[in-house]
Amino acid sequence: MQASSRQLIQYPLHLIFHPFDGYWELKYERNQRTTLMIALAILGLLTVTTILQAQYSGFLVNFNNPKRLNSLLEIVYVIVPVLFWCIANWSLTTLMDGEGKFSEIFMSTCFALVPLILIQFPWIWLSLVISGQETAFYYFFNMAATVWTVYLLFVGNMTVHQYTPAKTVLTMLLTLVAMAFMAFLCLLFFSLVQQIVSFAATIYQELVLRG
Amino acid sequence: MKNMWKKCGWLTMGLACLLCLGNAAATAFADGQTDAYNYSYWGEAVRSPAAYEATRIVTGTELKIGTFKEPNDMHVTADERVYVLDSGNSRIVELDRELKLIRVIDSFDHDGKKDYFKNPQGLYVSVNGQLLVADSDHQRVVHLDAQGQLIKIVDQPQSDLLKADFQFKPLRVVMDKGERIYVMAEGVFDGFMEFNSDGSFASFIGANRVSVDPVEYLWKRFATRQQRSQMVMFTPTEFTNMDIDEEGFIYATSGDLKGLPIKKLNAQGADILRREGYYPPQGDLLYTNEKGPSRLVDVDVGDSDMYSVLDAKMGRVFTYNGDGYLLHMFGGIGNRLGQFNTPVSLERAGDRMLVLDKALGEITVFQTTEYGRTLYEAVRSYFNGDEEGSAASFAKAADMNANLEYAYAGIGKALLRQKDYAQSAQYFKRSMEREGYSKAFLLFRKELLREHFSWIMSGLFLIVAVLVTVSIVRRQRRGTTNAGIK
Repeated sequence: MQASSRQLIQYPLHLIFHPFDGYWELKYERNQRTTLMIALAILGLLTVTTILQAQYSGFLVNFNNPKRLNSLLEIVYVIVPVLFWCIANWSLTTLMDGEGKFSEIFMSTCFALVPLILIQFPWIWLSLVISGQETAFYYFFNMAATVWTVYLLFVGNMTVHQYTPAKTVLTMLLTLVAMAFMAFLCLLFFSLVQQIVSFAATIYQELVLRG
Repeated sequence: MKNMWKKCGWLTMGLACLLCLGNAAATAFADGQTDAYNYSYWGEAVRSPAAYEATRIVTGTELKIGTFKEPNDMHVTADERVYVLDSGNSRIVELDRELKLIRVIDSFDHDGKKDYFKNPQGLYVSVNGQLLVADSDHQRVVHLDAQGQLIKIVDQPQSDLLKADFQFKPLRVVMDKGERIYVMAEGVFDGFMEFNSDGSFASFIGANRVSVDPVEYLWKRFATRQQRSQMVMFTPTEFTNMDIDEEGFIYATSGDLKGLPIKKLNAQGADILRREGYYPPQGDLLYTNEKGPSRLVDVDVGDSDMYSVLDAKMGRVFTYNGDGYLLHMFGGIGNRLGQFNTPVSLERAGDRMLVLDKALGEITVFQTTEYGRTLYEAVRSYFNGDEEGSAASFAKAADMNANLEYAYAGIGKALLRQKDYAQSAQYFKRSMEREGYSKAFLLFRKELLREHFSWIMSGLFLIVAVLVTVSIVRRQRRGTTNAGIK
């Protein structure tokens, strides 16, 4: 299938409004390579949106300390949870008769993030011209974006793995638990590595000072 | 190549600027008045000019009455006479506003016999000069008139609210205008003891809440009854000190480490302290884990709802305004003038601050600096409703201390009233006041929209018209092409 540039934009928009259709297409009909490119682009746009949001949101809704903002960390805050979700989901669904491949899980997750970009990006600029009472709208729309995303994640999971709705919900909850486990293991690993490094450094120092 | 040099030039210039900034900061660090700080909206300690400086130390030897021995309390009247409770010598020393000796009270006439104090811990002097002494080891509160004649003695209260083996050991005492006496007593966890004007016990007011450590609670759940009886009971934290303001509200400090160590109690004993500042008043926000949070041991209420608390751990005095914004701090533990060893009592004499040191037996007198006076002036004029005056003073204070975020809100409020909404919003933003900012911004937006209403409306019309035409033209074109195909 030849992907025109117009289609590259149209497809994610079509997917978020017709998720069952869109995800079916994603799994069975579309060119995996172009879809993956779109997914990566979406992830990139989301990180940009998050950084802009942290930096430029209106004073009334922006509680970040500008002196402590770090764009690199903001990127990590977006990408790491997405990767964690995909890895945890893949690990679980391979054991639970899921039909999805890892690339499909990753793509479906990224496509589910489109509403976050679509709603949050304009609200960064709108939040500059709202008053205190109107921040309720800001929070409402952000909430709506999150709910929409969760719904898309749900449909995506269901389609990609060919699950029943109940099983999808269960898998998603288990995925969250698995993510927590992974975070714990990562912390453990890093602190152990740190200890080993400091141990080696101490021995080296000892040797240098005595020798 | 040239381009690259240009880049390097910018870089060196930037570096030079950074160096300059670094130098400026270094000189600011070295100007002597460096101990003072304030806490910013972000909870960081930021430098601030000193609001007070120590000018003088008063000791018992200097007054020629022998050294103070473990003095515990001090009180200053409205006309700035100073009463020092010299506990170790069981006497009260009265000084005038220049801190010269007026008299020493060490005994009083009790039913024709001379009676003495024994290790008194607390002292209060009412507006008309009556003295209240918490005569701790005699388990009584002694009420004397201005001449030192006995009015009454409040001793061991009788009440169903008290345990049978209750030992009355008063530590601090205050009296309100209705001559009700409030006593902070040792081992009482139910709050302050309130006595009627005739000396009979009325009730307890203002008990602290019990704070429960979850881990300890879990242990207790697993313990047997016998083990449990051996464990420490969950009891509310005791108060450490109190003061009463002109309207009869009691300001109290407690050793409540987690919650709210300062309280303002109304007649029902409810806490009505305003905590509208960046952080609830609690002394230091930042502290090391070994030292722990501030241990507040005294509170003093000033005019315009301002109050100061004394932290015994770091020897610092913190002053807050009625809304709970930290205005300034000074003091410290050390050996220099203006630092303490074991500070126990803090009193305000006009704009001066007096701090009593128990171990050294001396009173340190602090005088306001230019900055302190400006700050007070601003807070006072704002309290009295003079927004213009307070804005001018706040602007002056902000000139002296750009870190004083709180001052910008004061300027913003005045600008809001002067209908300079854009500026006002900027000032509120600077002081991180979202509510004030929102108010100013809303008015600014309304003004802007009204001013440019015609432009905006015609622009909108134009856009709609263009869109409509474009769609009509498109449809027609499609219609004709379709027709052509047919």
